[in-house]
Amino acid sequence: MTSLSSTTSRLVLCLRLFASHYRHAPLQASAILLGIMLAVTLLIGVYATNENAKQSYGNVSELLSKQARLTLSHQTQDTIDESIYFALANAGFDTIASIEGIATDEQGRLWRLSSSDIIAAISNGAKQDAQSTGSVISVNIPLAELLSGQAKVLMSQSQRDRINKVTNQSQTITLNKLALDIITIDDHWGLGSALLADISLAQPLLNMQGKLSYIAVFSADNAQTDNQLIARLTDTLTQAGIDASQLHFSTQSSEGESLNALTASFHLNLDAMSMLAFVVGLFIAYNGVRYSLMKRQKLFVQIMQQGLDRHSVMLALSIELILLVFIGCVLGFIVGLQLSQWLQPMVAITLEQLYGAKLLPGNWQWHWFVQALVLTLSAAFAACIPMLISLVNTPLAQGAQKKPQNKQFNIIHRRQFVIAVLLLLLCTLAFTLTTQYRHSLALLGILVVAIPLLLPQCLHWVVNFLTPFMPKGLWQYVIAETKEIIAPLALAMMAILLALCANIAMNTLVGSFEVTLKKWLDARLHADLYIRPNPNQIDALVLLLANDTKVDAVYEQWTVDSQLNRAETPQTLIPVHLVSRDHISLTDTTVFKTTTDDFWPTFTAGQSVMISEPLSIKYHLNLGDKVELSQLKEHTLTIGAIYYDYGNPKGEVIMSQPLWQQSPLPAKPISLAVTYQGELTTLQNNISQQLNLSSAYMYSQQRIKTEAITIFNKTFSITVVLNSLTLLVAAIGLFSACVMLTQARQAPLARLYALGVSRNQLRIMVIVQMLFIVILTCLVALPTGALLGYLLIHKVTLQAFGWSIAMIWDWAAYIQVVVIAVVSCLLAVCLPLYWQTRKPLISSLQQEVL
Amino acid sequence: MILFTANKVYKQGLVIIGLSLLLLACTQADTPPKKTNTISTMSAQSSDGYSEVIKGKTLQFPQDHSAHNDFKIEWWYLTANLTTAKGEDVGVQWTQFRIGMTPPDVLQTANDNAWKTNQLYMAHAAITSPNEHLIAEKWSRGHPKLASVNPSPFQVRLQNWQWLSQSNELFPAQLSVHHNNFRYQLQLTSQQPLQLQGDKGFSSKSADQAVASYYYSQPFIDVTGEITRHGVTEKVSGKAWLDREWSSQFLTKAQQGWDWFSLRLNDDSTLMVFRLRGKTEQDHFYSARRMYANGSGRNINSRDNPNDIEMQPTQWQQTALGKHPIAWRIRINSEAINITTQASNPNSDMLVSTPYWEGPITIDGTHQGKGYMELTGYN
Repeated sequence: MTSLSSTTSRLVLCLRLFASHYRHAPLQASAILLGIMLAVTLLIGVYATNENAKQSYGNVSELLSKQARLTLSHQTQDTIDESIYFALANAGFDTIASIEGIATDEQGRLWRLSSSDIIAAISNGAKQDAQSTGSVISVNIPLAELLSGQAKVLMSQSQRDRINKVTNQSQTITLNKLALDIITIDDHWGLGSALLADISLAQPLLNMQGKLSYIAVFSADNAQTDNQLIARLTDTLTQAGIDASQLHFSTQSSEGESLNALTASFHLNLDAMSMLAFVVGLFIAYNGVRYSLMKRQKLFVQIMQQGLDRHSVMLALSIELILLVFIGCVLGFIVGLQLSQWLQPMVAITLEQLYGAKLLPGNWQWHWFVQALVLTLSAAFAACIPMLISLVNTPLAQGAQKKPQNKQFNIIHRRQFVIAVLLLLLCTLAFTLTTQYRHSLALLGILVVAIPLLLPQCLHWVVNFLTPFMPKGLWQYVIAETKEIIAPLALAMMAILLALCANIAMNTLVGSFEVTLKKWLDARLHADLYIRPNPNQIDALVLLLANDTKVDAVYEQWTVDSQLNRAETPQTLIPVHLVSRDHISLTDTTVFKTTTDDFWPTFTAGQSVMISEPLSIKYHLNLGDKVELSQLKEHTLTIGAIYYDYGNPKGEVIMSQPLWQQSPLPAKPISLAVTYQGELTTLQNNISQQLNLSSAYMYSQQRIKTEAITIFNKTFSITVVLNSLTLLVAAIGLFSACVMLTQARQAPLARLYALGVSRNQLRIMVIVQMLFIVILTCLVALPTGALLGYLLIHKVTLQAFGWSIAMIWDWAAYIQVVVIAVVSCLLAVCLPLYWQTRKPLISSLQQEVL
Repeated sequence: MILFTANKVYKQGLVIIGLSLLLLACTQADTPPKKTNTISTMSAQSSDGYSEVIKGKTLQFPQDHSAHNDFKIEWWYLTANLTTAKGEDVGVQWTQFRIGMTPPDVLQTANDNAWKTNQLYMAHAAITSPNEHLIAEKWSRGHPKLASVNPSPFQVRLQNWQWLSQSNELFPAQLSVHHNNFRYQLQLTSQQPLQLQGDKGFSSKSADQAVASYYYSQPFIDVTGEITRHGVTEKVSGKAWLDREWSSQFLTKAQQGWDWFSLRLNDDSTLMVFRLRGKTEQDHFYSARRMYANGSGRNINSRDNPNDIEMQPTQWQQTALGKHPIAWRIRINSEAINITTQASNPNSDMLVSTPYWEGPITIDGTHQGKGYMELTGYN
């Protein structure tokens, strides 16, 4: 009992001692907390964003309602007749009629308008569980106005906040020339970014009288399989005299899964970047811990000499670390959730535009905090325990001498270098063998760890190399001291190297991709105007274009959803877009990656098809492979060419126009492209007036290019933001390391001053030392960043998205990150120097004694 | 007799009670409903602009079987006491409501799209046995292909639930309801004249006659048909009762809820009796009609004969919805009726959008028989 209480009192004593140490040196505690906080912030920010997105895929619910069991639409993205809905509803199926369409506002911006039979949506939502969003009579939505077809649309509160800037906080929005009142409803309805109207308004507004986009079907009967339900629906329609052969049934589970699969690489990339930022943050925290231990080395020895046992000191240090990690985690968690709020709209836009996935507002979970805490604690202990043990076990006599420990660090740095070289060799070998982007990403992770490990030894070598060239006197002192400060700065430098490499690599990827995409768009787009009318208007449009003398040529495109089957392994059904274009379009606009020698004759004869590069890479399909398509049963086709496609994450198969027309596929083209010898707006106005076709369905070549680049920029904005944040974290780390180091060097600098070195010389000396190390680090980042960029482009992106990109080196981007590093270093050095020069010399000299 | 949530918490909202399909609502609109509940959100808060119930108006048949879209709320309501081939007593309920969400002159629709409407339909169905109470609810907007009331032949439908007559009259007709775990298909016939409740169909809901509805019934319906529960189909036969009611002006602010009975007595007469509960015993309003197969009948109410009708709960049951009086003593001195009623299944909560208690009952005392009870405002 006595021993327990004495242990406790010793522990408390230690802790009080450490607390007063931090009271005197708040900078040390702040540096540690800052590192942990930044690490956890980025980790949680991205984690929460990713988790919410993934949850959304699983719970894609009908607007104002619940998740449907399956959806029923037309095979060819055509509309379906509303009589199908009546037949199903009157047979007792719980269904919602839905319409989706694009409308233009007065500024020509496009809005996606969703609409449904709102009463069916709400009542089906209420039916599914007791915890429903509301029953028809308890909803706070002006149903009377909506049902009577009044010009009103619903928008979620958060979306409203988001678009207030675009709409100038207006209460109305004018779509397809009709002014609509905006009704804001609570986010819990899950509208996401959708604009929701009742079907009574949407049908006339979107010119879809009597038509629906799809029907959502609910079923409470879990014993019934999806196939049984589909069979019942088909029977019901057949009995009602409706031809169900053109209908496409898609089950919600399969949609969720395919969305998960489609977006997996996107989320993995985000995860990888958040881990990178986490590691960078931990570097800072570790640096802080090490520095604070170094400063207390003498104190430890003194208290142990006075009788405190090693065990209590060790325990008190561990408790201190746990407390710091806990506080840092709490702060990081809070800021991280805030960051996620900020990132989510960005991610939502990317996912919606790239994959058509809708994101719902999500809630944060406690277990995220626990996960972050456990991860940070484990990482902190793994990093710090060896240091704590060696410190506490230092012989009392030796510890008191406050040895610079340089020898020890030299050994560590050499070891790190050897490990790094081994890891690099391993990666080089493994990269030649990988075909999976997950493996490549893991190897990239190893590489990212290996690169900074190279740094301290490289710095030593460079300094050693330079030593003989330095003039005698002060410069020799400078170079000798530079060697000394490599060790305390090493960790911060490693963190900044990591961030620089990642940044350079990402910039290279984004820049290269943009150039590739622009080139591809230039080649791919040959017509002046691209029109995708409602399917029932296509004949009238063809006629109208044929009668316009200024129209040079009309090109046609057909598209259906299909499934590709490898002829040898009939069980693999790959979802693809099946496309055909006229011969001229195909020869003029397809950018081939590779073709067989006799491609065009076999293609025209209907024996071979071309497939997009993403399809080829994702499913390892090569030239000469035999494939079948779900609409062309028992017709085996050969892959004759692979073409570049950067516009579509889904696979695409192109067949020749004659083969399309012989096959049981929709005869009418889905879109037309026109070359025109006059003012393009004249043609657009003409089409708008004669066919009552919204300009939303017409794209000029320029508009496609602009929008493609806009989407591209938005797609990568999230990665660029994360990278910048990582760089910011590293810069903060460098700043805090430099501040601490410069403060620690007050005494030696004061001594030099006392010996007659002028203040200006001292300032230049310190700045040169620091800049030298930072610039060396930036130089190391140049080839290593390029290497990472190369691997990101030629391995990870190629494998994950199936996009071949020509790597383009961007010097401007490189210089930009170097400038950021140099500026943060200069600030970090100048600030403490300035503080120091304001203090009397004696107090600086006393630093050492204190 | 149906009710939507005569709930104390949000009784400011509209309350529909099916006193033999009687619908009452608070006219108070000073505070918005806390739970943003009820039809009051859909229909305008007051009855302004809707047609009013006028004393002395003569009901016209078959026209008045159809919908009265100029009134705020209306219903077609059938309860049946049936026996299966195995001798099990079951109760069956079907109600279709029509709700006019805006007054008739508010909706200026060019009828260019059939989806545009100001009419909303809701239907409830139930099969109740002593051991089980199966319920279902359906909603739809008014749309000729989804939910409507058609005069020729007379048809009341909400998707695949429907009353379909062979002519423009109510009977003979077939009533079909299909739900996931139960369904029924009943053949309904009746030769008896319709019974106009209250003053020739003008049914007051308060002593001062400030609120009223149009209300008529057919308490003498013969039923044969089939019911299916959990996939097991059985033949049934028995008696049913139809109520028709429409109005735009509902419960007074003071009224708390509703106890309504449709009773089939063993002397071939029937009795409709209800109590509208005020804040105190003295504020209750009682009304009844004793009806005979030849179309004759006698009205009794607490305004004209203050102590003639006595209704006392004798047993209470805590259900999922609230504490409900499931057994009663009912005495009407002028009709020499002194009976007790007992719920066949005390847990007959209708847990739908507008929850209430509704189920079959048995009758004992001076008369024996079966009937239906509806209780509102106890949740």
